Amino acid sequence: MTLHLTRVCVGVGAKSIIAPFTLSIGAGEITTLMGPSGSGKSSLLAYIAGDLPHPLTASGKVELNGVDLANIRPELRRVGRLFQDDLLFPHLTVGENLLFGVPRGNASRRRETMLLALQEAALAGFEDRAPHTLSGGQRARVSLMRTLLAEPYCMLLDEPFNKLDSELRETMRTYVFNNLRAKGIPCLLVTHDVADAPRGGAVYLINRAGVLEHA
Amino acid sequence: MARTLRHVNHRLKALGGLLPLGAMWILPLSAGLAAALTSTFDAAVWAALFTHPQIFPALALSLTTGSASMILSTLLAFLIVAGLHRVTALQTWMGGFLAVPHLAFAVGFSFLIMPSGLLARVVGVFGDWAAPPQWITTQDPLGLSLIVALVLKEVPFVTWLTVGLMARRDVSQMLEAQSRIGHSLGHGAASLWLRVFIPQILPRMRWPLLIVWIYGASVVDMAIAIGPTQPPPLAVIIWSDLNSADQAINARGSVGAVFLTLVLAALAVLFAGLTRLLKPTFRSFLVSGPSVEAVPVRSARGLLMAIAAVYLIVIMLLAIMSFGSLWPFPDLWPSQFQVMAWEHLWDAPEPLFNSLTLALGSMITALFLAILWFEEVSARFDRYLLAAAVVALALPSLLIAEGQYLVFLKSGLNGTWWGVYLAHLSPVFAYVFIVLSGPYRAFDPRYRSVSLGLNTNNWRFWTAIKLPIMKPALTAAAAVGIGVSIAQFESTQLIASGRLSTLNLEAVTLSSGGNRQLLAMYSLLLMIIPFCAFLAASRTERRLQ
Amino acid sequence: MPISRRHLLKATVASGLLPMMLSLARAADWASIEDRAKGETVYFNAWAGSQPINVYINWVVNEVKSRYGVTLIHVRIADAAEVVRRVRDEVRAGKTDGSTDLVWINGENFRAMKADKLLFGPFAPALPNFKYVDTEGKPTTLNDFAEPTDGLESPWGMAQLTFFGDGAKIAMPPLSMAELVQFAQANPGRVSYPAPPDFHGTTFVKQALIDTIGQRSVLKSVATKELFAHVSPPMFTLLDGLHPHLWREGKQFPQTQAQLKQMLADGELLMALTFNPNEAANLVAGKELPETTIAWQFSAGTIGNTHFVAIPVNAKATDAAQVVANFLLSPEAQARKADLKTWGDPTVLAMAKLSQDELSLFASGAVAGSIKTPVPAIPEPHGSWVPLIEAAWLEHYGT
Repeated sequence: MTLHLTRVCVGVGAKSIIAPFTLSIGAGEITTLMGPSGSGKSSLLAYIAGDLPHPLTASGKVELNGVDLANIRPELRRVGRLFQDDLLFPHLTVGENLLFGVPRGNASRRRETMLLALQEAALAGFEDRAPHTLSGGQRARVSLMRTLLAEPYCMLLDEPFNKLDSELRETMRTYVFNNLRAKGIPCLLVTHDVADAPRGGAVYLINRAGVLEHA
Repeated sequence: MARTLRHVNHRLKALGGLLPLGAMWILPLSAGLAAALTSTFDAAVWAALFTHPQIFPALALSLTTGSASMILSTLLAFLIVAGLHRVTALQTWMGGFLAVPHLAFAVGFSFLIMPSGLLARVVGVFGDWAAPPQWITTQDPLGLSLIVALVLKEVPFVTWLTVGLMARRDVSQMLEAQSRIGHSLGHGAASLWLRVFIPQILPRMRWPLLIVWIYGASVVDMAIAIGPTQPPPLAVIIWSDLNSADQAINARGSVGAVFLTLVLAALAVLFAGLTRLLKPTFRSFLVSGPSVEAVPVRSARGLLMAIAAVYLIVIMLLAIMSFGSLWPFPDLWPSQFQVMAWEHLWDAPEPLFNSLTLALGSMITALFLAILWFEEVSARFDRYLLAAAVVALALPSLLIAEGQYLVFLKSGLNGTWWGVYLAHLSPVFAYVFIVLSGPYRAFDPRYRSVSLGLNTNNWRFWTAIKLPIMKPALTAAAAVGIGVSIAQFESTQLIASGRLSTLNLEAVTLSSGGNRQLLAMYSLLLMIIPFCAFLAASRTERRLQ
Repeated sequence: MPISRRHLLKATVASGLLPMMLSLARAADWASIEDRAKGETVYFNAWAGSQPINVYINWVVNEVKSRYGVTLIHVRIADAAEVVRRVRDEVRAGKTDGSTDLVWINGENFRAMKADKLLFGPFAPALPNFKYVDTEGKPTTLNDFAEPTDGLESPWGMAQLTFFGDGAKIAMPPLSMAELVQFAQANPGRVSYPAPPDFHGTTFVKQALIDTIGQRSVLKSVATKELFAHVSPPMFTLLDGLHPHLWREGKQFPQTQAQLKQMLADGELLMALTFNPNEAANLVAGKELPETTIAWQFSAGTIGNTHFVAIPVNAKATDAAQVVANFLLSPEAQARKADLKTWGDPTVLAMAKLSQDELSLFASGAVAGSIKTPVPAIPEPHGSWVPLIEAAWLEHYGT
């Protein structure tokens, strides 16, 4: 699984925020993108996901597993996302949240998948709990599991560790990166904290002119 | 010592929330109910009710028209919001539609579809008809045209409620974020609506939807204008009984009202139980996995256009009817015009002024009482007040007004503006409270604790943080409250006892002779105040978005 | 009570002297009533659904102000029953200054108020203008739905069941119930009547009962279920024969006379009915119906009655109310009311009792939509027949 971004740029109106750039992320690779707030990082992720909100514009080729995502609806792109907020659905239990993205199929097999994922996240027995009864760290794990259960072809992480305290942060980072590498999913991580960048992965910086520089 | 003081202070605050409410709403309402329901403990009257030859078919008719219209209008409203929820003009439109009074809409709509109405005349142009066709449109025995009219009236209301819940900054941001997550999990827009948005919004709309259902089952003026007659819906029989001069028949009417309310309450409880039983089925649907159907945006847009077209045609028809006096089949245009009806406008200033002051007065009081309750009383007790409000709206206003009249007589309030104002407050507060309860209680308590940490006092918090966020819901409730007051007839008529008049009073009494031109003109006049209110409400919302 | 009064009257009339003394005493009394009435305000609760009537009442307002210094306020109501309920509630609550001083009333509403002792009086026979009332030729001025008025209400105008429709579309208007059935057969779906318990609808059914009953005198007595079951079958046979040819095959009916009238104006029905013989002319003048409109009644007669004004027992301005009631009986007011170009409501006065000058006030002349040939007015059945008729109709045709 690979993600290719060719001459992708982001702007609003006539003004350019991110100058055209090209980069590729291979299977299990985690590329970090850094830059000050307002530099368009989240917008770039939105463009890749297909959710770019109105006044912003972007162009450039986005290829995932050899498929050009240009005219494909967001829900069909197989692009997984993680945000600062865990965004677990409040009206569903933990187990139901996990099941949400699991592809359709045999009901008992789906349930088994969900229970297995809970076990892997060290949250066995939590399937009937309401999300708000879990701690921040637990919710973050459920959120990651939920995204992975939907079998995405790539992952976009938008400052996912921001709301966690420093100890938890370290644990979560390791947890997330191990999972992604194990599944061979290419990942684009956006953050303003350099400590978040995994060792061995490419790191880019968006400078004041909106140009990506290899760090 | 300090703890006891805090405890007492807390209780006093709760009392502060309850006292004005008790004095101004609960007391007049219960007094009204008690006085009016004195005959309900007489078995002979119940026997008289059940021997009425039309009672059971009429009951069935009320229930089917109310239920069908509520279910249809909710489905259609969700379709519209799902298909167009980014369009901010939607709210202004809906507000405009809501401003058309129910009776006015029924009159105009029935003129559109009745066998001698505009549609038939347009078709008749091609068939060269000289006499109206023998269509069965208005007054059809199954009540289908009544259901259609009710749906057309209720879809804007339910849409307004839904958008009001979703348009709040905090809510809309959360829904946007959930939408992004949902897409990334493989769910299309339709699936998101069915599995994520509606399950979160619907519980907050339970009580207003209950009101919509009850309204459909107990509406009288629309049923008379466009509904079946033999038998009519039960509410019409009850209303006719309550209006009789014969005491025995009055008693049968009030017992009939209690009966209908009890049946509705029983069905509501039954339905709640049924949904609880079906919960596992619902939940397994929610997690049955991603589906990628898109929302039928074109159908949603078409539906909205169709509804807008009907409303515009109805308003246009009312305008033409207000000038045209003779308009027989098959003419496409009135054959006689006269300004006669509009000359009544010169008589209108005082009733118009009364309508306006009563509407503003009762609306502001209702908002104040509702906010006081929400702020000072825990949400655990909401359901009791909500139930009381529902009862206040389920029982015919005539029945409650009769009871209030008896009580006001003793205190000399009848025939005064204050008496009518208090009488209006009963339904106005009920509506305002029900419409406001969902959005108000959905207010994220985290805001409050955050601001407490920042040492802001209550008042600053309220004006600087809470009020701006609550504004859409508050203005929506205000607009609805104004509309309810403007449309009051029986309570005004009885309590005012001829000492003051409102626009609606003039409209109904002057057009009781069937002069459609007068009715059309007054319908247009009656639209103005609520229309301005809804316009103001949507302006506020647009500015916030 | 009425009986003893009748005996008393007979005795005093026989003596010859007393009438003159009584009228002198009454005149003195009346002067003081008029005096006290000056400056009082009368709240006159009257149905406001017809513009010509409202215009007439406006005229009365101006007249009683300039002549007697009485402020008359027309309280617009949609249905007199609401006044009955209001007065009943007020009396029950012990309120002595009621909201209503004068009410336009008749029939069931009057019966209800009389039975519950909600009326002031007797006052009507003491009104100076009462002497003009045609009590002999128009017996319904003393008997409202066969219920004696006992002077508790003062006659105001005459009403009679009348039909109307477009003369351009009706070649031969039906002049009897039987002809009406044939008319409906010839014009299926174009005839209807308001459903009871609307009182216009009830009156139509009463007319059917009167026209099919063997002995009309039966209807003067109090009704019982057995009696009704005995005399009603021919009526139901007629209605059963009529309904299949009616609008919507007699399965649906308009709820009110107002709706019926509107359906005629729209062209959906060929004829409508009313109690005001001049209503068709009013509608033509108000441009609600075409100039070709005609009005007619059954040649053998249709139900007629009188409508009245009454004073609630707890009225505040009883003196001024009586002054107004008296003015309403004056030849001038009655003539203006009977003018076919305005309201056109027939007078309760006897032409024979008026002077030449007063007679000349009553201009005559047909206008478009007015009745061409008057027919006898058949008196109403006793009020007790109404609930039985309505209940039976609902049972037969209500679902």
